[in-house]
Amino acid sequence: MKAVYALYADPDSAQLAVDSLRREGVAERSITVISSEPFEEYEFSRRDKPTWIFWLATAGGAVGLILAYLLASTTQRLWPLVTGGMPIVAMWPNLIIMFELTMLGAIIMTVITLLITARLPTTRSKLYDPEVSSGKILVGVENAPDDSIEKLKQTLRATGGEVNAG
Amino acid sequence: MSHRWGMAVDLDRCTGCEACVTACRAENNVPTVGPEQAARGRAINWIRVERYYEGEFPDVRVKFRPVLCQHCDAAPCEPVCPTYASHHTEEGLNAQVYNRCIGTRYCANACPYNVRFFDFANPVWDKPLHLQLNPDVSVREVGVMEKCTFCVQRINEGKTRAKAEGREVKDGEIKPACAQACPTTAIVFGDLNDPESEVSRLSRSPRGSKLLEDLGTKPKITYLR
Amino acid sequence: MNLEKKNKINDDLLRPVLHTSPWFYVILLVLGGIIVAGLGSWMYQMSHGLVVAGIKWPVYWAFYITNFVFWIGISHAGTLISAILRLVNATWRRPVTRCAEVITVFALMIGAMFPIIHLGRPWLAFYLMPYPSERGIWPNFRSPLVWDFFAISTYLTGSTLFLFLPTIPDFALMRDRTTGLRQRIYGMLSLGWQGTTKQWHRLESAMQIMAIAIVPVAVSVHTIVSFDFSMSPVPMWHSTVFGPYFVAGAIFSGIAALIVAMAILRKALHLEEYLHPVHFHNLGKLLLTMSLLWGYFTFVERLTVWYGNAPAEMAVFWETQTGSYAPLFWTMVFCNFVIPLPLLGIRRLRTITGTVIASSLIVVGMWLERFLIIVPSLAMKNLPYSWGFYRPQPVEIMITIATFAAMAFLYLLFSKFVPIISIWELKVGAHPRPVLTPQEEEEAQELWRVRP
Repeated sequence: MKAVYALYADPDSAQLAVDSLRREGVAERSITVISSEPFEEYEFSRRDKPTWIFWLATAGGAVGLILAYLLASTTQRLWPLVTGGMPIVAMWPNLIIMFELTMLGAIIMTVITLLITARLPTTRSKLYDPEVSSGKILVGVENAPDDSIEKLKQTLRATGGEVNAG
Repeated sequence: MSHRWGMAVDLDRCTGCEACVTACRAENNVPTVGPEQAARGRAINWIRVERYYEGEFPDVRVKFRPVLCQHCDAAPCEPVCPTYASHHTEEGLNAQVYNRCIGTRYCANACPYNVRFFDFANPVWDKPLHLQLNPDVSVREVGVMEKCTFCVQRINEGKTRAKAEGREVKDGEIKPACAQACPTTAIVFGDLNDPESEVSRLSRSPRGSKLLEDLGTKPKITYLR
Repeated sequence: MNLEKKNKINDDLLRPVLHTSPWFYVILLVLGGIIVAGLGSWMYQMSHGLVVAGIKWPVYWAFYITNFVFWIGISHAGTLISAILRLVNATWRRPVTRCAEVITVFALMIGAMFPIIHLGRPWLAFYLMPYPSERGIWPNFRSPLVWDFFAISTYLTGSTLFLFLPTIPDFALMRDRTTGLRQRIYGMLSLGWQGTTKQWHRLESAMQIMAIAIVPVAVSVHTIVSFDFSMSPVPMWHSTVFGPYFVAGAIFSGIAALIVAMAILRKALHLEEYLHPVHFHNLGKLLLTMSLLWGYFTFVERLTVWYGNAPAEMAVFWETQTGSYAPLFWTMVFCNFVIPLPLLGIRRLRTITGTVIASSLIVVGMWLERFLIIVPSLAMKNLPYSWGFYRPQPVEIMITIATFAAMAFLYLLFSKFVPIISIWELKVGAHPRPVLTPQEEEEAQELWRVRP
């Protein structure tokens, strides 16, 4: 199993390449498009499932809220000291701590979700070509079965890409 | 019986002699900072006598008011301390725990009476003055806040003695240094929970008022005009 | 945008990172010297106690807390520009975002030093951390200083991540353009980023959420800093307007600092093609709005005090308007309001030079504003017998100067190791807006999908 890919100079030809790979019968999941900037206006960028990150961030915020409430009220009850005539468990000041830790929970959960779903940091060598940083777009198939490599190379060449096998 | 310590200061009797200031220094190991630092505003006086002049010569009237920690029931200095160094005890005292103090000085800013003091430097007592230090009171190191404690060491001693003798604390038995030294007995200290005590009686006096009462700090010291 | 243009962008924006001029080392050395002097002053203060500083009874907070509030205020630059402009899809923000976010992170770090510098016993600063200690006691969550600890920690974490996440693709670019040790370090920092469509999609979603989350955090941070003052019964501190007043002032000083930083970067790193006059023009308009807002808040607060005529507050009021603090007060009004208004309001004057002059004055004016909020009120509290007068000492002045040098130093170092303009975001900005079918438009509206 090897990866087959080609480099394209502009997003239009990259889109053509993705379409022709699809016509060849390559599974959607196997088609990889790599670029040094996002091309949201092209269809090849919008093939992924919608992300759950919003709900996960909210969940992280909820966890933060609960932790903050427990931290403040439990520690205030552990060693009850009267200050300024305020109640031992002072709700108004505790709300501030609760707000901050809620936001912190949401932020940290967002970052963790990003790292996990984008599979960062990666240590295994994955499909990549340093030419991508010069602005070229990489369209390829990871883990192509050996017998189809030549066919795929032809397809990619036909749409104008410089073919490489990695 | 639980205690609630309070004080009454009779401004009519106060002569401004500042014996209270001196006695407090001696009793509580309050450091002297020297003339140079005092000029730069670093002098520490747990109790001070504020002097206000009214009128023009020769009809000048001087008003004296000893100002010390009011041990407020709604003390603004307590909730702002991040380490609980300033907190309210069950007997109504505003306690300052030197070990917990990290010296943010927020309590001093919040105190409207300006009765909280910061140790700008490590205190120095040249020999043989170190022999006069009171062993019942800790010596504060640089960077902590200190203030009047109503001579809590004397309160504790009085309570312990009464308990050992199997009786209640008598009114007038516990006297902070300022009350003890005052030649006109302008300063009266005692238990506000005891309705018969001298301080309770004076607190109910029609001449009585509290300092900066409108700020809502609920100070415990009644000043009698 | 063709490949040639893209490569030019890469080259221009990577040049400051890949090539070092001798001036870099000279400036670094000078700034480093000032910082060392500042650190030395702090060590001197720690060993001798705060007796060497100017604080006294009853002015217990002065220069250090002024600096604290000032730097936390400056840190609001990044949030406004990056997060809010990102949320409203203002495309002119793209070259400016990273400059702004860097200011936030470093200003926060510097600002967070000051609560430690001003402590009486700074070696015990860890008493503020909420952890189960052997002392058995936890911090007092009712104290605004503990709120500060939580707020600044949250904001620092959030801003650092907000800065780091969009830098990952640029670290990948650096990894591809360097060799040896640098390549390995950039490779680690880029976390193995490839640039697949899925990764871009996830990154943009994450940035959207971070932008939404960081705005309330930023507002809360400076509100909580204002609570340090408004929660105590000090005349002219105990004001309900302090929360919004401080936030507006923070954004005000933040944008001013950003304009100054951008102007310096533009000249020093030859970024004239990327930081255009229109950026300064637009930021200048924002600055004008904030100047008017600042003027409005100041007027409202002072009018309320004057009208209310409470004796304790009037004493402080007159002292700042006509008394010993009057020169500082009127300088502040000139620097924040009188001079910036025409410079930023008149279109012909709102050039790069004009906005930089206005911003520099505003930075000075806002520092003075913090000082004038803190010191006069403490100097003249309720009992006149205890009024005092504050004068700064060399230790405090040296540390203040050293923090400005530290900010420049850290910024300089950052621009050496990371491209100061976000390269991929700049390239995206040149994409034409897509023509979407109505159904695609609707799909694009969903909150967690990327907006083009």
